[in-house]
Amino acid sequence: MKINQVMDIAIKAGKILLTKGSEIYRVEDTIRRICGYYEVEAECFVLPTGIFITVIGKEGEPISYVKRITERTVDLSCIEKVNSFSRNLQKNTMSYEDAIKILDNIEKDKGYRFGLRLLVAGVTALVYTLLFRGTVKDSIAAFFISMLIYISKEKISRAGIFRFFEYFASGLIAASISVVVVKLFPYLNVYRIIISSIMILLPGVATTNALKDALRGDIVSSQFGIAEAAFIVVSVSAGVAIILSFGVGWIS
Amino acid sequence: MREIILAFIASICPGIMYNVTRRNLFWVGLSGMFGWITYNSMIEVTGNVVFSSFLGAIIVGLYSESVARFRKAPTTVFSIPGIFPLVPGIAIYNSTQYIAENNLLEAATTGIQAIACAAAIASGILLTSAVFRFLKKWG
Repeated sequence: MKINQVMDIAIKAGKILLTKGSEIYRVEDTIRRICGYYEVEAECFVLPTGIFITVIGKEGEPISYVKRITERTVDLSCIEKVNSFSRNLQKNTMSYEDAIKILDNIEKDKGYRFGLRLLVAGVTALVYTLLFRGTVKDSIAAFFISMLIYISKEKISRAGIFRFFEYFASGLIAASISVVVVKLFPYLNVYRIIISSIMILLPGVATTNALKDALRGDIVSSQFGIAEAAFIVVSVSAGVAIILSFGVGWIS
Repeated sequence: MREIILAFIASICPGIMYNVTRRNLFWVGLSGMFGWITYNSMIEVTGNVVFSSFLGAIIVGLYSESVARFRKAPTTVFSIPGIFPLVPGIAIYNSTQYIAENNLLEAATTGIQAIACAAAIASGILLTSAVFRFLKKWG
């Protein structure tokens, strides 16, 4: 197989991992391993915003490749699939066409339907309200508010505005609807409803990945992850705080 | 018992949001359940939220590392939804509310509590992950 084709497979696998919210060390490991299986010696450097690979060609000439990553979502099933793809590659190396086909299929897989994810967003809020010792009425309110946040967050993210604005707007919407709902039904508890409905916004993935990267000594990427998590929490809190500043006085 | 079932669902839900494959969802639920049981029973025994979060995270970490080997999937698939019930959402919210009410002293107290909880969860996950990595290299 040509060196270009090996790099193509490696870059594609790396790109899927990085855009679907994998740790940085896993991306580097996978790229290095895939190149290794095809007996190509590669040096790679991955940042949360891009992949850089350099390979020494047959006549000693360096070949490099830069892939810029702009979108980042979370899809743990893609990471799992690329992981097992790379494990299969170790057992028997496949042809270029087969490998690209498998990776294309992984990338295309949309996962659970939007309707189901929307429902689950609601159920998450419902369950967390009950877990935080709220009443059943609180949990039903949280269920609908959380679904609303999820829809608006999807809409904003599709419009492609500044990413942290997404979280700020979600916090804003969550708090304002909760305040209005509590004004209408005064027996509800505003604080339990807001906490549970913003639960789906908390940056669990960014934090965990940052830690794992720190453990492998990749301080640059771990700083990125921690900063990302802090920004998300601050954005959501800012949205909530703005509404609460005058909302609490209004409902009591 | 009711809370245990809730904790089970409470980590399956983030699992679906993060697109965990169907065959692993049950194991993801167990991860959050064990973490929550540890966290809750430690709070009843010691009354220390930060310490309880730490122990809860250690259990989630141990569980995820071992199940990941047996299910042949990355550890994060089990650990990310698993720590969800432990996340200090209430402390973060309280801190925000105190800032909105201009009660900065209380805001600082709860804010520090939230940061300490997050750090405790982080070090719990980090510790188990480091131990497993060490064992893998060593044996």
